[in-house]
Amino acid sequence: MTQAIGTTAGSDGIAIRRRRRPATPYVLLIPAVAALLIGLGYPVYWQIVTSLQEFGLMQQFGAPPTFVGLDNYARIFTDAEVWSVVAKSIAFCLVNALLTVGIGLGLAVLMRAVSGWVRITMQITLLLAWATPLVAAVTVFRWLFDYRTGVVNWIFVQSGFESFDGYNWLGNVWTFFMVASFIVIWMSVPFVALSIYAGLTQVSEEVLEAARIDGAGSRQILWRIIMPLVRPVIAIVLLLQIIWDLRVFAQIRLLQDAGAPIAETNLLGNYIYELGVGSQDFAGAAAVSLFVLVLTMVLSGPYVRYLMKEDAA
Amino acid sequence: MKRTRLVAATAASTITLAMALTACASDDTEAPADSEETTSESGEVEPGDLTLWVAGGDTPDELREYLVDTFEAENEGSTLTIEEQDWGDLVTKLTTSLPDAENTPDVVELGNTQAPTFTNAGAFREISPELYEELGGDNLLQSFVEAGSVDGTVYALPYYFGSRYMFYRADIWSDAGIEVPTTLAEFGDAVTELRTDDMSGFALGGQDWRNGISWVFANGGELAVKEGEEWVSTLSDENTIAGLEQWQDVYEGASNVPATERDVAYWDFLNDKAEGGAPDAATIMAPGWARWSIGDLTENDEGEEVRDGMADDSKFDIFALPGVDGGVAPVFAGGSNMAVSAQSQHPELSENLLRIIYSDEYQTMLAENGLGPANTEFNSIMETDKFGEITVETAENSKLTPAAPGWAAVEGASVYEELFQKIAEGGDVTELAAEYDETITPMLNGQAG
Repeated sequence: MTQAIGTTAGSDGIAIRRRRRPATPYVLLIPAVAALLIGLGYPVYWQIVTSLQEFGLMQQFGAPPTFVGLDNYARIFTDAEVWSVVAKSIAFCLVNALLTVGIGLGLAVLMRAVSGWVRITMQITLLLAWATPLVAAVTVFRWLFDYRTGVVNWIFVQSGFESFDGYNWLGNVWTFFMVASFIVIWMSVPFVALSIYAGLTQVSEEVLEAARIDGAGSRQILWRIIMPLVRPVIAIVLLLQIIWDLRVFAQIRLLQDAGAPIAETNLLGNYIYELGVGSQDFAGAAAVSLFVLVLTMVLSGPYVRYLMKEDAA
Repeated sequence: MKRTRLVAATAASTITLAMALTACASDDTEAPADSEETTSESGEVEPGDLTLWVAGGDTPDELREYLVDTFEAENEGSTLTIEEQDWGDLVTKLTTSLPDAENTPDVVELGNTQAPTFTNAGAFREISPELYEELGGDNLLQSFVEAGSVDGTVYALPYYFGSRYMFYRADIWSDAGIEVPTTLAEFGDAVTELRTDDMSGFALGGQDWRNGISWVFANGGELAVKEGEEWVSTLSDENTIAGLEQWQDVYEGASNVPATERDVAYWDFLNDKAEGGAPDAATIMAPGWARWSIGDLTENDEGEEVRDGMADDSKFDIFALPGVDGGVAPVFAGGSNMAVSAQSQHPELSENLLRIIYSDEYQTMLAENGLGPANTEFNSIMETDKFGEITVETAENSKLTPAAPGWAAVEGASVYEELFQKIAEGGDVTELAAEYDETITPMLNGQAG
């Protein structure tokens, strides 16, 4: 709407119309802004206030909190453990987001290429994986990788790798995150694949036909024609994946419950939970949460700017 | 197309913001609500809907039904709803629900190790001296009463106790020519000898500190002591270190369970495997009710396949963990406390519920169901078989974790799980003890850390 006004602001007649700004758009914005302020503004406000106080279980049960300024931030960010958690979270988030989008893109392109019933089988399979409740999915993976009775160890042993008998996948930080990545990717690939596939169906047949007439091979069509056209969709799903994978919590928590080194496998969400809810350091948890808010904006900022630019272009 | 993208971008940035707000800050604390019950003119308590939280599945259905029926019969017009909370989430749920007058459960069960934290934070309503006497007074299990008291005022009462003892495969032990040990060192040697590649002599996960601290207590060690006003973690005390090192030897010598495991269903390890061969363990340590998951397969009245509860005592048997110089080792006292929320809107009805829980009938039912009764006068009801006898014997020698205000924080942050895992992995006990003393001491005193 603003765009329409902006691009036609050249002539005098319209400049006059610009001066009497219609009130309706602003009125229409009120519900959205109010919802944002109540739903997000208030919690953020409390988060900030809490992070500047000494706030523990006593305060939760009514003792007046004391204002401590930036003490919580100083305490949290001089703690080496926090930085190790941050580094692990960013690495986990980027690796998983890129792998998820990569695999999803591959499946989408494949779905476009295969014939009807194969595609429908693929779509149903993907939807079933997507529809599996989180706890059920993690439980299945816990059973698959169980050190005593898991089928993964059994397969390794059956194919001659005796050293995997009783191998504890969740006991080592690296293999723990590998199993966690399997779960995260397995659960989010369907969304990415189906979204990108939906984008692919919007590529018009005429454009492709024109390309073919101009002598483009199928590889060229894929990389030069189709990919640029679905780039906005890929950008959006990648952005969403980065945000989702940064706030991964339940998968890690449920895997830790199966027996894992806890402190070493904490990601940001789990660390905040353990700090706030587990050890009742609500102020410290609030400080880390605000840091995560900033981190998310920094990580996703370039994408949001890119999407805005795409729109303006 | 363009508009779609704008909407998508806006939505995405909104979602970014929304999702980044991971941990929720605490709610604003409401001023303590007026907790005086409005009484009608006749002096009768106004009817209300009472909520009781029980933790885990330890309270059998029969007992729950008794509470509901009795309460509703004695308090006309009132109802009682029993909600079961998961042990794992209990601290979280209590932290968020108890301060909220609108949503607080009226009466709650919580772990005895969690009781000091919430009691110190002012989460519970005081139990008046008159009521305390009425509910059993000094006959109530005193170590649990202390866990629920601050400066002589009682807030949380014992609910039930359990204790841990050893379940073992008598056939495997006697085939190996090993007698039931009489000292803790003999126990370690015996289970180390019994271990094979396929069978733990004593199945024990590395993170299972609630079993592990028995070795600390047996060696005269303490986890923490109160020095003046401050709690101090005493892992570096020489007795504590001796206990931890002895436990490390037992774990390394006798257990095939990974160092990262905890709360494993050990009772399964004792049963014969479906495919034959040695069981996964010759010995386990578990609370008394584990008995019903151990034994040979049999059919119950409904025709379901169940374990026979260790009917064959030449195959399955029990003993109490022996002490360093013989006798019985002080094991970790499991169990629960019961308290009324300070924010409860129905304090008088809640007290009526407590009167039912601490009645002779209910205490008898607890004892008959193998739960150590809060009122020690009813212990004798349990001592009708070897399981009951050993429960009472070990409970009399059992010990609680420190009653420090920050103890629940130590548990909530899984600090002991981590420490015991590192010891199980062969870490240097003295160094680890010093390191974790520094972590734990500030947490014990309720300081953020």
